[in-house]
This record gives sequence, structure tokens and C-alpha cells, in this order.
Amino acid sequence: MMLIAGTVPIKDMPLTLGKVTSESGYLVVGGRSIPCTQGTGAMVSAALATTSYLGLEAPHALLVGDIGKGEGSRKLYQYLIDHIEELSPAVLALHYWLPNMSQTRQLCAAVEKCARRPIMIADAASMYSAKAAGLAEKFDIFTPDPTEIAFLADPEATHPAYIARHLFETDITRAPELARAAYRHHGAAKILLAKGAIDYIIKDGEVLATISEPNVPALEPIGGTGDTITGLVSAFAFAGLELHEAAIIAAKVNRMAGKYANVTPATKVREVIAQFPAVFKDYLCQWSSVCGAKGGRSGD
Amino acid sequence: MLFQEVSQAMAVEKMLKAAGYMVRLVAPPPELRKGCDLAVEINLVEQPGIERLLKEKDMAYTSIEPIRAKTAPLLDAVKVTDFGRWVMVKAGNMKITYEKESGVIVNVSGGGCPDIPYLHAELIDKRLDQAPRPKALGFTLCALNLERALDECLALYSGGNKT
Repeated sequence: MMLIAGTVPIKDMPLTLGKVTSESGYLVVGGRSIPCTQGTGAMVSAALATTSYLGLEAPHALLVGDIGKGEGSRKLYQYLIDHIEELSPAVLALHYWLPNMSQTRQLCAAVEKCARRPIMIADAASMYSAKAAGLAEKFDIFTPDPTEIAFLADPEATHPAYIARHLFETDITRAPELARAAYRHHGAAKILLAKGAIDYIIKDGEVLATISEPNVPALEPIGGTGDTITGLVSAFAFAGLELHEAAIIAAKVNRMAGKYANVTPATKVREVIAQFPAVFKDYLCQWSSVCGAKGGRSGD
Repeated sequence: MLFQEVSQAMAVEKMLKAAGYMVRLVAPPPELRKGCDLAVEINLVEQPGIERLLKEKDMAYTSIEPIRAKTAPLLDAVKVTDFGRWVMVKAGNMKITYEKESGVIVNVSGGGCPDIPYLHAELIDKRLDQAPRPKALGFTLCALNLERALDECLALYSGGNKT
């Protein structure tokens, strides 16, 4: 299974685990409706769109309500720590939650006990806590934006709010240099999908690919378009693509969906996600080795 | 001043400023960190009065320690991007985009803490001057960056310089 874990902005929503479905524009997990908006909702929606098109098992999601106090986040961490061995997902994608270094360490230790180690993907604050706890190298893929890659490169920073000013002042073209620094400081996952005006796919400090077309600047202001990239790369990894290939395709799909949706800075992320099936139909066979046939890690 | 929870640090900083103390939110040095990733920097000379005030207000904190000089301050830089009809303001890892003419927030992006999707829902489609303050509703450093982005948006919009 592919398991996505994260918080949703619904007060008092209890910890909920279930296979994801879609109904009337909402995600449904364990009988609960989740809006397809910025954050974990957008990530799950993108992953579901991908698995649906490829004919793979739908993602499972472990969600909890948390509007910032951290109570839900702590429950989420603890459930994963206690149950990851029995859940044994092929892909474990971690997203929004209140970063907790201690529980991140416990989770990584629990993952090591799995009979087969899952592909570990982190974005948002789960990436922050992994880096801050010194455990970035335990992860297979991080998906940082320009500020976040500066955060990964700054060995002293425990949150992007604390990065050195000169790092904040840089742009995405410095991603390769910052990535090398991040790898030197053990602050990077095996693969970085650095998302920005140019997307960089970086492995062990080496740039494997850059994606700059189609150029759709209006994607940046749209809340959730980074989350969709993480959902896409998680699903393509679940489909069995090599991880760097999954990252390349994810970046291409997101850009092309933005173009198809004729996005403006006022566009909502659901309008971008709605274009994924059309982009898959037009380009997936051309760009990748998956064309909709069942396979990959779905049976795992 | 060290704390177990980010929300405790933010509340103490807000209360102390209202009481007239010159304080600021900082990253606690790794060698001092006992709880969360946010501390309140105070003048040690004022420690007794601050401790008394915190006790009166029944506000929790872990301890007060001398701070080393090189502790990184919270990032306060912002970037502004003009999209023609819209403006995007970035503060740290957070971005707010509004329509120049109406001042309506059309998108909030970036961040990774759990209050951000909540704040996204609360801010979207509201005018800058009618939107709730992220610092009032949020609990994390991401919310603090969002607050700075909103401040900059308001300055740009209300200053008549809508770009």
C-alpha cells in the first residue's frame, strides 16, 4: 500500500485511517469528507488522481485534525510509531504536522524494524523535523521549495523561519549549490525534487535533470501546487518508477496541468488537479514507462 | 526563556510586549533547547519582574537561561513579485497573493505546519484589511511568517502603492 500521513484543518477530527475515495469534489477517508485544498488534501488528491489513472490501488491516508496546537500531530506520530511495522506500506509519504524531533527519531527507528523498508518521502513540516533531527538521510525523497532548500543547506536552522538572510535572498538557480551544501551537512534526502521556476532533480549532490517547460510562473502563488508535486511523485514511486524518474515526471505533469488549466495567481489548486487525467492521457506514455497498465508496487 | 510549546512562547511574547517589555522571539541555542524550537529573548536584568508577571498571568515556561550572542534571529526579510493584476508577497517560507484593485487575498501558499491549511481557509477570499491575523489564530513559526507577509501586503495596499 501507499500510505500518506498528515494533518487536516478540521478541528477535533479524530485519527482516521482508510483507503481514499473521491465523492462530489471531496476526498473521503474512513467515512469522513476532506476538502481538496492546500496541504495534505491537495497532496492526497494528486496521488489519488494518479493511482486512479494508472489502475493502481488507491492511496491509504492516515489523517487527523490539527489547526496548529499539535495535539493531533502527536497522535499521528504515535500511531505511526506503534503501527508502521504492521501497516508495512510500500511507500510512506509524510506531510503537514507539527514538527517533533523526538517523535521523528522514534518513527525512523520503528521504520527500521519493518520487514521491508518503505520508500520514505517527506514534504512540509515532516521534512523540517527530519532535517532538524539529523535524519534526512533516512528519507528517499524530499520536495523542497527555494526557501526550504536554503533551510536544508543551513546546518544551524531548525525551521525555515531561521535560515540565514543571505540564503533567503537567493533564488532557485542556486538550488544545485545549496543542495551540495545540504548533502555535505547531512541535511538532504537521497533525492531532492527542488521545485521552483526551474525544477531540479538532485541525487547525492548531482543534478540529474532540470525541468523548466512549460514555464507557468502563476503556479507559484497557488496554494497546494507544491503539495500536488509530492502527491504525484509518491504515486509514481508507488507505480514502480525509479525514484528520480518519478520525480521528473511529477514535475512535468504539474507544470503541464498548470498550462492546461490556464492558471492565474487566483486559480485554486483543485483546478490544477482536475487537469491531471488529461495530461496523463496526452503525455504519460511519451514521458515515462508507465502508461496506465497495472503493475509496479501496487501488489506489494 | 525556554518553553515546551511554540504556542506558549508566542503567547508570552505577546503578553510581555503588551506589558511594555522589549522582547523578541528567537531560536534557542541547540545546547539550551529543552522543549520547542522557539524562545523569548528578554533582558536578564528584568528577569524578576517578568517572572512575577508570568506567575500572575499563570503562563508556563520551562526556564530562563543566558543566551549566546550568535543565536539566529527570526528571518524578517520579504520578497514582492508583481503578477500584473495580482501581487505575491513572500516572508520566509510563506506567501500571500492578493488582487491589487480589490485587496482580496486570492491565494496563500508555502509552509508546512498544521495551522497553515487552517489559516489558508480563513484568509482566502477576504480583503487584506478584513482578514484575521495569522498570529492571532496560528500557533507556529509558519504562522508568524504569514503574519509578516500580511503586514507587508497591508503596507503595500494601504500605502496607495498597490504594486
